Amino acid sequence: MNITLVINGDSRLLDCAPHESLMTVLRGEGFFSVRFGSETGETGAAAVLVDGRLVSSDIMLAAQADGHTVETVEGLAPRMSMHPIQEAFVATGAIQSGYSTPAMVLAAKELIETNPDPSEDEIRDALSGILDRETGYLRPVIAVQRAAAALRGETVDEVTTEIVAPLTYDMDGARDGSSAASPKVVPNPEVPEMNVVGKPELKVDALKLVKGNPAFVDDIEMRQMLFAKVLYSPHAHARIVAIDDSKARALRGVKAVLHHQNVARVRYASGGQSYPNPLPYDQVSFDDKVRFVGDRVAAVAAETIEIATEALGLIDVEYEVLPAVFDENEAIAEGAPIIHDEDGMDGAHDPSRNIVHQITADVGDVDAAIAKAHRTFEQTFRVHQVQPAPIEPHIAIAYFDSDERMVIRTSTQVPFHVRRMVAPLLDLPLKQIRVIKPRIGGGFGAKQEMLIEDIVGHLAMATGRPVRLELTREEEFVSSRTRHPQTITFRTGVDIAGHLVGQDMKVVANTGAYGTHGLTVQLVSGLRGLSSYQALSKRYRCDVAYTNLPVPGAYRGYGAPQALFALESHMEDIAHELGIDSLEFRRMNWTTEGDPIDVAAHLSEGEADTSFVPVVTSSGIVECVAQGERSIGWHRRLDPDWRQPPDRPHIRRGLGFAMCMHGTAIPGLDMGAASIKINDDGSFNLLVGATDLGTGADTILAQIAAEVLGIPISDILVYAADTDMTPFDTGAYASSTTYISGMAVKRAAEEAARQIRARAAVMLDESTGAIELRDRQAWSTDGRSVTLGEIALSTLHQAQQHQIMGVASYVSPESPPPYAAQFAEIEVDIETGQVTVKALVMAVDCGVAINPVTAAGQVEGGMVQALGYGHCEEMAYDPDGRMVNAQFGPYWIYRSDEMPRIDTFLVQTMEKSGPFGAKAIAEIPKDGVAPAIRNAIADATGARLDAIPFTPQRVWHSLQSSS
Amino acid sequence: MAMIRAYHRPTTLQEALDLLARPGTVPLGGGTVLNGLPDDPPEEVVDLQALELDAISLDGAMLTLGAMATLRDLVDHDATPVLLRDLARREAPNTIRNAATIGGTVAAAGSESGFLAGLLASSAVVAITQADGTKEVALSDLLADRLNAASIITSVRVGLGGKAAFEFTARTPADIPIVLVAGTRSEEGTVVLVATGVAPEPVVFDLDQVDALEPPPDFRGSADYRRHLATVLGGRVVARLEAAS
Repeated sequence: MNITLVINGDSRLLDCAPHESLMTVLRGEGFFSVRFGSETGETGAAAVLVDGRLVSSDIMLAAQADGHTVETVEGLAPRMSMHPIQEAFVATGAIQSGYSTPAMVLAAKELIETNPDPSEDEIRDALSGILDRETGYLRPVIAVQRAAAALRGETVDEVTTEIVAPLTYDMDGARDGSSAASPKVVPNPEVPEMNVVGKPELKVDALKLVKGNPAFVDDIEMRQMLFAKVLYSPHAHARIVAIDDSKARALRGVKAVLHHQNVARVRYASGGQSYPNPLPYDQVSFDDKVRFVGDRVAAVAAETIEIATEALGLIDVEYEVLPAVFDENEAIAEGAPIIHDEDGMDGAHDPSRNIVHQITADVGDVDAAIAKAHRTFEQTFRVHQVQPAPIEPHIAIAYFDSDERMVIRTSTQVPFHVRRMVAPLLDLPLKQIRVIKPRIGGGFGAKQEMLIEDIVGHLAMATGRPVRLELTREEEFVSSRTRHPQTITFRTGVDIAGHLVGQDMKVVANTGAYGTHGLTVQLVSGLRGLSSYQALSKRYRCDVAYTNLPVPGAYRGYGAPQALFALESHMEDIAHELGIDSLEFRRMNWTTEGDPIDVAAHLSEGEADTSFVPVVTSSGIVECVAQGERSIGWHRRLDPDWRQPPDRPHIRRGLGFAMCMHGTAIPGLDMGAASIKINDDGSFNLLVGATDLGTGADTILAQIAAEVLGIPISDILVYAADTDMTPFDTGAYASSTTYISGMAVKRAAEEAARQIRARAAVMLDESTGAIELRDRQAWSTDGRSVTLGEIALSTLHQAQQHQIMGVASYVSPESPPPYAAQFAEIEVDIETGQVTVKALVMAVDCGVAINPVTAAGQVEGGMVQALGYGHCEEMAYDPDGRMVNAQFGPYWIYRSDEMPRIDTFLVQTMEKSGPFGAKAIAEIPKDGVAPAIRNAIADATGARLDAIPFTPQRVWHSLQSSS
Repeated sequence: MAMIRAYHRPTTLQEALDLLARPGTVPLGGGTVLNGLPDDPPEEVVDLQALELDAISLDGAMLTLGAMATLRDLVDHDATPVLLRDLARREAPNTIRNAATIGGTVAAAGSESGFLAGLLASSAVVAITQADGTKEVALSDLLADRLNAASIITSVRVGLGGKAAFEFTARTPADIPIVLVAGTRSEEGTVVLVATGVAPEPVVFDLDQVDALEPPPDFRGSADYRRHLATVLGGRVVARLEAAS
């Protein structure tokens, strides 16, 4: 049918099908800022203005818009310029992955045009339809406030940092932030003043993101492209007795149907990890057995998504349904159904008992220590399954280039691992594959996986044509990756003074149908569970169980949120039992500078190496606790009128605390590399294998290079993650990019700087060779200078020509721990069990924050994800293992208009091993929110929960049993 | 695969009714439900946007909401009672509120729709046009009997005046409530309580008959817990309706 749309002022006559959504038609017309997030409109990633009102174009038929005006961000500003709203989003750090930023900009536009001076509530309402998994909404709200002020003609202040006076040591120079977007930094006297590092520089990728320019996997047009769909198992555990694909193949437009009968059986493990991937290799592309509802059965490539979907329904599969088991404890009990009964399970601990891994670690003799303890405490906790839920689901496009090599353009955190892992499955030499990671709409670990690249690869090989596969939201929930559920038991002995003498941690972990990250996540659980506090002896025992649940894998935090929920709940309750103040009890026992991280040597990948015991090299935890205590108003715990407001008799208020300690990269394993070369004008190309998922990695890597070279970051052109073009990097995981890739960039830049200085010394006739790089120039000791542009022209064209270029890689022997203090304020409705989270405060020691705005954004967004983990998100199943809430509505992630107060402090320490003093920050915000809320509920009501999430019914039951 | 194969945008009610007489054809409001993931997509849709059904008009103590008025229109209108304004705002985030229509929300009969509960508590009357003419039915009757496919909701009428309140329990402040209770108290003192989450659709209930409810349980709440919430929240609503009167 023909429709007429006025898009960004241009009237267009378009042909569309009656069922096509406005999103589909707009994307077809090249408006790639309109993005897919779900089929049901809740993500708002596809929101556009229709007749000036923000609507989800994914649930509007294009035909409905016939005769109406449509606005997208493509219409807001001409090339190389920005609308004031876009400028505000960039300046405030409101953009992380940028996937939904265009929709937020339009939301702001609609609001400000009708309401030039909106309140915060009105702004939060205007953003309420756009789900954000990244920023915690804080900076987008500030961005809209700033944009409104700018459009009212007011001057807006520069975003700087707000210097907060330390509370536990002396340092002058406190300074209020000039803008609401200014992050709070607690300075440290050991940190030197720098020019680019430590400054809130604008994101290097901001322009393309805020303008909605085509930058993501799906934002390209391939001629002859086919669309893939996957047939997923409806059964939790079944053998495939027969598959008849003849009707599907006969359907017009179907180009390939693949399943276990026509795809080679190559065993692999899908977790995106370094070579050799941990055993067992318990997956194949298509198997004759299915092990969870959502497991792969077959894949189709067809001319359209509709045809591919129809073809799935034409594949006749005969299943022999087998008994299934979902609980990790039941799975390892006698008589449970065996999930992996096939051959080739080398490296699995005991598949006949569904135990894929058994992990043990001992420091000292914990039983003897606990036997002698003054008091002993034992508690068991259960943590549940959640999904990372990036707004951009998994998507990959495979095609053959002009050399007939396979190119896989994919939304991945691990492009180099994907290339290495997919090659044997496709039976292609590695050199015949190129993996490109364009911009990614969030990953959070779900994309640390070779998840769908083999499917598009197989289908491209079968058809010779480009093939695209994008997961639906339901498929993202059930067939992608999730957080490991665990049953965790802590047993702790304390001496008469309240010091820990022994700590014993036992975990039964649920890795679902496949192992993937099952070993390493549970190694981290043990490491994190037994590193925060000093005990003379420690023990970790873990069974990792196969079950028939959708597959857990990597999810930001990687085993730590589970362990720290249990540990920090346990520590709180011990303090309560001992009658010691909960902060004081932590202080008495936490690890600090110089303390050994003794359990780490026993919980590394591969052979235990106890010859090297890492020690804590920097810790700002004391200051973190002090800042958090003040911000949350910890003293209110003692105010009865605050705890029980007289005018609201069913409300109880409470405050809770959790201490967090994380790691920075995997020592001895994670490697990042970088190359940097000068251009004729003194600008530089920085090529890195590191993958920016929206974290700001490209920006902070550019800042590190710019600091070394004495130039602004606008002179650094970052290109990242293309296996043909950039040096190797293990990828974006394990809180490693700033520390590992950052150090590689620093070293590469230092090599380029050395070459620059050498030429400058010649050009300036500086006999000492002492050349300073600053302000885009090289300076002699007597104050003469040449520009980097002149040096570039000299070296590239004029004399003793060579390319000024540095290449370096880095692997760290250490993993310096960031520390954090997490506080929560909550209200409990004691008649219903409803918990309302009023405030979350996190003070983080991440060493030196290379970019305080992006670092604060990591903390704000991470805390909000962690809030979902503790408070509301859960994957719920029916008795047959079918997820019953695989949509954003019933699953529920926090919206802009229901957020608690969020406050973040970046407490500086000088970590000598890190680039310019940096440690990690990406994952630690995930660790403390659930236990802090749990401890606040205990403070408010006395109910001591042993499981998450704190949904009304669970809390109500706990209140019933504790009263 | 099942999908919409024809789209119509009639300009008269008669034309719309003629189109709706065809099998597999349904009326389309804002499309926020129908274009999502419907269990059984229709073959043809009849978009009602050109029928001029989007007015909200105040007539004495009655407010008439055109079926094609959006939830956003209702939120923005000066005469909208506070209960309906708050519940329309709670019903959906702005991207969906800006498109979802009053008529569509009634026709979808969402089991957890707080807005429908508010309409029910406001004793809403729904005007329905069919081939044999227009009739008015109480919303409660319509929800019990469900709508005939070949009919068009043209407007919803609610009375003004009296007092109103609602209470809910949800996982988070903006979440779809596990149970929501909306209540009104007329100037004569008649109290009407309506709950979501305790029956397959929002229902009128009495506080002393909560035990008779048979709530469909889900992972957020068992039947017992939902009955408990109906009692607690209903009691709070009544207390608010009776306070400061």
